[in-house]
Amino acid sequence: MHKKTGLIFFPAFDWAISPTHPEREERLLYTRDQIFEEGVMDLPQIHEYAPRLASIHDISRTHFCVPQVQSQITEAHLIASGSILQLGDSVVSGEIKNGFAIVRPPGHHAMRVVHGNRGFCNINNEAILVDYLRRRHCIKKIAIVDSDVHHGDGTQDIFFHDPDVLFISFHQDGRTIYPGSGFSNELGGPGAYAKTLNVPLPPGTVDETFMYVVDNLVLPVVNDFQPELIINSAGQDNHYSDPLGSMRFTAGAYADFTKKLKPNLAVLEGGYAIETALPYVNLAIILALADIDYSNVMEPDYWPGKFKESPEKTAQVHRTVEQLLETWTNKEHADLHKLFGSGKYYQRKKFIYYDTDYIEEIQLEQVRRCDECPGYIAIASRANRGNPAPVSIYAITIPLQACQTCQSEAYDIYEQVKKRQEYDYVYMQDKFTDTCRTYAKSKEQEWVTEG
Amino acid sequence: MYIGIDVGGTSTNAVLLDNGLVRDSATVPSSADIITSLLEALDKIMTGVTAELIERVVLSTTLITNLIAEKKYAPVGLILIPGPGLSHEHYQFHTDTLIISGAIDYRGREIMPLSDDEIEKAINNLSAKGYKKVAVVGKFSVRNNKHEQEIVSRIKCLQPDWHVEMGHQVAGQLNFPRRVVSTMLACATRDKYSFFVESVQAALTMRGIKGPVYILKADGGTMLLNKVTGVPIETIFSGPAASTLGVQALIPSGETAVVVDIGGTTTDLALILSGQPLLSSKGAPVYEQLTQVRALAVKSVAVGGDSLVERVDQEILVCPKRLGPPFCMGGPMPTPTDALRVLGLTGVGNAKQAAEAMDILGQPLGISYYEAAQRIINSVINVIVQEIENMFTQWEQEPAYRVWEVLQKRKERPDMVVGVGGGAAGFITQIAAKVGGNPVIPPYAPVANAIGAAVAIPTLQVSLRADTEQGNYIIEQEGYQGKIEKASFTEEDALLLADEWLKKRAEKYGLDNIVGNTEINRRDVFNMVRNWNTTGRIYDISVQTPRGIIGHIGAKDGFSNA
Repeated sequence: MHKKTGLIFFPAFDWAISPTHPEREERLLYTRDQIFEEGVMDLPQIHEYAPRLASIHDISRTHFCVPQVQSQITEAHLIASGSILQLGDSVVSGEIKNGFAIVRPPGHHAMRVVHGNRGFCNINNEAILVDYLRRRHCIKKIAIVDSDVHHGDGTQDIFFHDPDVLFISFHQDGRTIYPGSGFSNELGGPGAYAKTLNVPLPPGTVDETFMYVVDNLVLPVVNDFQPELIINSAGQDNHYSDPLGSMRFTAGAYADFTKKLKPNLAVLEGGYAIETALPYVNLAIILALADIDYSNVMEPDYWPGKFKESPEKTAQVHRTVEQLLETWTNKEHADLHKLFGSGKYYQRKKFIYYDTDYIEEIQLEQVRRCDECPGYIAIASRANRGNPAPVSIYAITIPLQACQTCQSEAYDIYEQVKKRQEYDYVYMQDKFTDTCRTYAKSKEQEWVTEG
Repeated sequence: MYIGIDVGGTSTNAVLLDNGLVRDSATVPSSADIITSLLEALDKIMTGVTAELIERVVLSTTLITNLIAEKKYAPVGLILIPGPGLSHEHYQFHTDTLIISGAIDYRGREIMPLSDDEIEKAINNLSAKGYKKVAVVGKFSVRNNKHEQEIVSRIKCLQPDWHVEMGHQVAGQLNFPRRVVSTMLACATRDKYSFFVESVQAALTMRGIKGPVYILKADGGTMLLNKVTGVPIETIFSGPAASTLGVQALIPSGETAVVVDIGGTTTDLALILSGQPLLSSKGAPVYEQLTQVRALAVKSVAVGGDSLVERVDQEILVCPKRLGPPFCMGGPMPTPTDALRVLGLTGVGNAKQAAEAMDILGQPLGISYYEAAQRIINSVINVIVQEIENMFTQWEQEPAYRVWEVLQKRKERPDMVVGVGGGAAGFITQIAAKVGGNPVIPPYAPVANAIGAAVAIPTLQVSLRADTEQGNYIIEQEGYQGKIEKASFTEEDALLLADEWLKKRAEKYGLDNIVGNTEINRRDVFNMVRNWNTTGRIYDISVQTPRGIIGHIGAKDGFSNA
């Protein structure tokens, strides 16, 4: 018997950001109708799992939630994250060949530091899974391919300096859509150069060009990277009927892409054409994962050849692909000193806007450039939410692959910063020992969680 | 006084309950005409009791389930309207299946019209093949039955004598393939069911019983026998529900128990969680075919007292088939019953023959007949214990689609392992020890199914789905589509409408008296937002009358609430 495709369907019919927000109860209602009416859960190739809750520590292992995890999440977030961990466990144990988490709320805009909700996301489900799999199952190399219409800026932020995570995002050009990033010159930090690849696509891009990017960039790069696990952030708002995006992908093309990429795990991200796209795209992706014929799945108003694209746009995408492939191929020979300077630290200053919660964050991120390991990262961040007063934090993360020097240096900094009483909260996220610490200035107290 | 009767394939059980106590019980062989065995059983339990004293009779039966198992029913042709979605190759139902183009979507909108030409061709095709029974089922027909109706009115015109069933009237929930199977089975078994109803009515009339007569449904509720012709499949698979309810009545209330019903070839397992039998989250599987029948969660394991036991190389295997009675009772091959006889766990059959059967298996392996018997019993027990574990895990792992459902998930393990059925006595102690509960073989265990029928009470459900944007609503159980009259239709209005329909259904089925305190078991509200404006709401509401039984056997004050 061939292995099954695992599904977790968690539509959170009793959870919404607000009654009229795109992230509301109704979002997966018609998807439920379609997959239940088709009898998908009864197919011998499908196994439906129950959702489970992620632990607070699972989230602390990935994020710095300000002031603490509990203040940034609801139970629905724990269930969405937990569902993905469940499928991750089942894929790694070999119980299923692949899995699809059709869950909400989504997560790919959530960055390492979380002051609030941005782009409908509070915590990053894929990133939480990566840290969990590394801890629990000793998996090292993971590829994340983000097919949402919006740039997966949260995932990019978290893995920007991680040489063992390949992050590829193709999306509508950031000059025309939220979050305004994801350009082809965003390629990762000095220790993980070209492990972040962004393909901005002009509005109106059609299936053929989507497939061109997949065939000529995504697949060759992923194959070359040789990941132990492939995750697809399966946003569905590139669909031609999406109200937030301006692209022209079809359900059939999403399925073709899934069939080619063969992700071990697909995770629903965005997609807000809840009637005209989601029921068909989700069904098509499920069937593609389970190796079932999906050629009869189609949108009622679609016919082949419905959409045309100007040759100039096509040529523009071809050029971007060519340039990125060259960057990927020559990454070992890149002059990192020229690109990133040669100090002990590489630092970037970030201005982050939380569209849902109207928060403005200013961040200075420093990564220790180390020859032995990816280096620890130290972040000073200040968030202004108007009223109450701004919150300032300092956070240090030690990667699982950290060398001894980086570990002890990071702890020294943590203790020094605590003593200085300069920040409202000081955090230490030690992935090497799987220990997370939070220090609150006002209480002069420290909390520790361990995995 | 209440009568409960279970009409099984080989025997008919009957009990007479008097104020919470079993006054009498009987087991007689089932006859082909049903009437003879019914009369025989009635006469046995009603000795000295006049017919006027019988307040009600409840029946359960596995007869029609058995017909399905043996495929003894007239062939049913299928006309399906699957539209886009899964490839049509998936729709293999082992009968002539004609696919018509046309499609309805999840909100009941027609997205592709029917083709008149194809309909006529399909009807002619089935007619040429001699079909007289036809099931017509469309994808999303439960959201809009227009296409099914159109095809059926064409059939009525061309083939007025055909027996036709429509999907939306048989199974109102979403799941097209299960709706096809359910509709096909409803169509196939309706005649047999009518025959059963007539036989029962004849037998009861002959004995002058005038109290209301109910039939048990697969979910453990009952319906008036003369009112169920519209929804027979709910009542067809009631066999396992009967023994589960029987056990529920025979143990104290509020217990968590596993019901282990060990028969000749199969063992049926059911769960009672804190006093309430567990309902299956999906429909009942009927001989590997998945249906939409609301049913108690019952797991059938292919092992029983008469299972064939064989030696394969160095292993003794219990096979999922029966070749005849146990060796110790003149059968051809060794069975678990022979092993029980050798170990002194049962008194049936001939001890010497049982030992001989065990020697057949044991000698080539160089083990004693006693050890062979132990190995067999262990392997039977292991299979059953494993399945019990699986049932609990499956229940814990049941999907949940709402935050509150995930948060209220709990873990439970049985206090009691209750054995019923002929083979239970020899196995139950060891099964209970492994599961970690107390072994119980209740009094009247052999007639537990008849007791279960006797204590069952009527239940009714109504699931309402209202779409205020389109201004319409549907009642799942009735296949009814209506218009929303009120301009601003609120959640409160939706609940009232559901309640109103519950009363309407109760009247229709002669159960007016049961609609008192209704329970709400689903109450989903979906704000519909289009182009940043709220354009309507979808209400998905389900109400029901409480589930339960009239009382526990031997309770101090009888059936006080009856």
